[in-house]
Amino acid sequence: MNAMGRLIKAEMKLMVRDPLVLTFVFAFPIVTMLIIGGAFGTTPTPAFENTNPSHWYVASYLTVTIAAGGLVMLPVHLASYRERGVLRRFTAAGFPRWSFAIAQLIVGLVTVTVACALLLAVAAPVYGIPALHGAWRVVAALVLGAVAFVSIGVLLGTLLPSARSAQAVGLLIFFPSFLLGAGGPPPHVMGHMVKTIAGPLPLTQLTDAVRDPWLGIGQATGSLLVVAALAVAATAVAARRAAL
Amino acid sequence: MVKSNVVTVRGLRKAYGTRVVVDDLDLDVHAGEILGLTGANGAGKTTTVECIQGLRRPDSGTLSVLGFDPVTQAARMRPLLGSQLQDSALPDRLRVTEAVELFARQHARDGGELLDRFGLAARRKSAFSSLSGGERQRLFLVLALLNQPRLVILDELTQGLDPAARRNVWDAIRQLHADGTTVLLVTHEMVEAEALCDRIVVLRDGRVLDSGTPAELVARHANVAMVHFTWPDPPSALLAEMRVLDGVRDVKRSAGRITVEGSRATIAHVGAVLVRYGPVPADLDVQVPSLDDAMLTLLNGTPAKAGTVPVTDEQLIGGRR
Repeated sequence: MNAMGRLIKAEMKLMVRDPLVLTFVFAFPIVTMLIIGGAFGTTPTPAFENTNPSHWYVASYLTVTIAAGGLVMLPVHLASYRERGVLRRFTAAGFPRWSFAIAQLIVGLVTVTVACALLLAVAAPVYGIPALHGAWRVVAALVLGAVAFVSIGVLLGTLLPSARSAQAVGLLIFFPSFLLGAGGPPPHVMGHMVKTIAGPLPLTQLTDAVRDPWLGIGQATGSLLVVAALAVAATAVAARRAAL
Repeated sequence: MVKSNVVTVRGLRKAYGTRVVVDDLDLDVHAGEILGLTGANGAGKTTTVECIQGLRRPDSGTLSVLGFDPVTQAARMRPLLGSQLQDSALPDRLRVTEAVELFARQHARDGGELLDRFGLAARRKSAFSSLSGGERQRLFLVLALLNQPRLVILDELTQGLDPAARRNVWDAIRQLHADGTTVLLVTHEMVEAEALCDRIVVLRDGRVLDSGTPAELVARHANVAMVHFTWPDPPSALLAEMRVLDGVRDVKRSAGRITVEGSRATIAHVGAVLVRYGPVPADLDVQVPSLDDAMLTLLNGTPAKAGTVPVTDEQLIGGRR
């Protein structure tokens, strides 16, 4: 097996053993989706663009797993590696320059994919999975969003000096994004100021790009383009920063 | 005979902000030798080896490691190096065997055999975070040796090891040496340097203070042997004879206790005189100069200036004198 393969294999095992991954990326979105998905019933209302509120949150919470992976899991993981000299050891051992960045991207994407699958598996018997109205747009948004947030996570991990600071900053970005852009109240019940703040957030854009075509609310082409641009920019910067 | 160099460093300079850590350093590591790099804390040892490994970019100077430039050809150079770094770790939850699998390239040695050899066989399934300091050091050594490197760089190798584990590691280094592997050893431990190194380079303030074999450094900087014994009422002829012995510098007498200072040869001459004059004093004690003494003298003394240290062809390495 080549260096990249060995690195991916080892990092996969470590991800599964990381309590932060298990709680934040796997458990947290599922538990909160189950709670809030049942809070507003299943009757379509204008606040939820005349869709089933439970389905609204099932479609929204896939992006919560993506944000949790990108904003909480990866920054802590990478900052801890840098702080403890793990990256220096990889560098000294001759791992190829781009191997670590690519391994993190792949491991991040796999983790997010598994977390999304788990979330849907739990949602299916409880609230049902809403029908996909614009499948390719949803898939494109999920893939681009995962790449964007994983890259942002890698970038934060290379910028923040320690695991503790990465955790603090990651949570500080994650929770407002989560409440305003995915897992909180729908935009229609937000006040003007809050809606203005929530609108441009990356997680709001991603959630719109996934939820709107999924539930047949709209195309969300603008949001999809924003997420695509974010994915390209974040990946380019993160790959440079995470090169060994 | 001209020895081929595995590492050639010329005019290396590295500063962190305004603090110059390595200053115009020259260093040669010959093929097949164990070279010790030593000096006080902050002398620039670790920065020097980090530049050699391509982990830091020098401000100026040229480096050649196994024929490669560590700045521009690190990717080709690093697979030929085995590194044990100071202040580095592995992921906490990575198990010992997984670490070996992760770092083993295609033609790596048998990791299981190395784990056995360094007493880690029983810890194969253990996570890195559960290893003791000594076990971690031994694992780093296993990883450094795993890919049959041509140059092994060991920074504070035996830090945290108990005496038995230290001996075990020293044996492994000697075996590497016997197999022809070149070793660059950064150490504070003079006993270790004396036991392992063919040559030693002493740094202070980022410059080479002196270099040579352990014996040469001792001869230059700690060539004072002392013989102590008690003889309450010694014959005057005994003291007179000792004062003129070969190599004797001083004979002191205080409350029946006699101390003779001189070169190493003094020890033999004093012994011979004592045997001739009667029963050898029961408390006869000899202090032989060690590399530790030489380092203390060297590091606490005035900095070496150009031409003040005698240089032989063998010692034409290290910083510009």
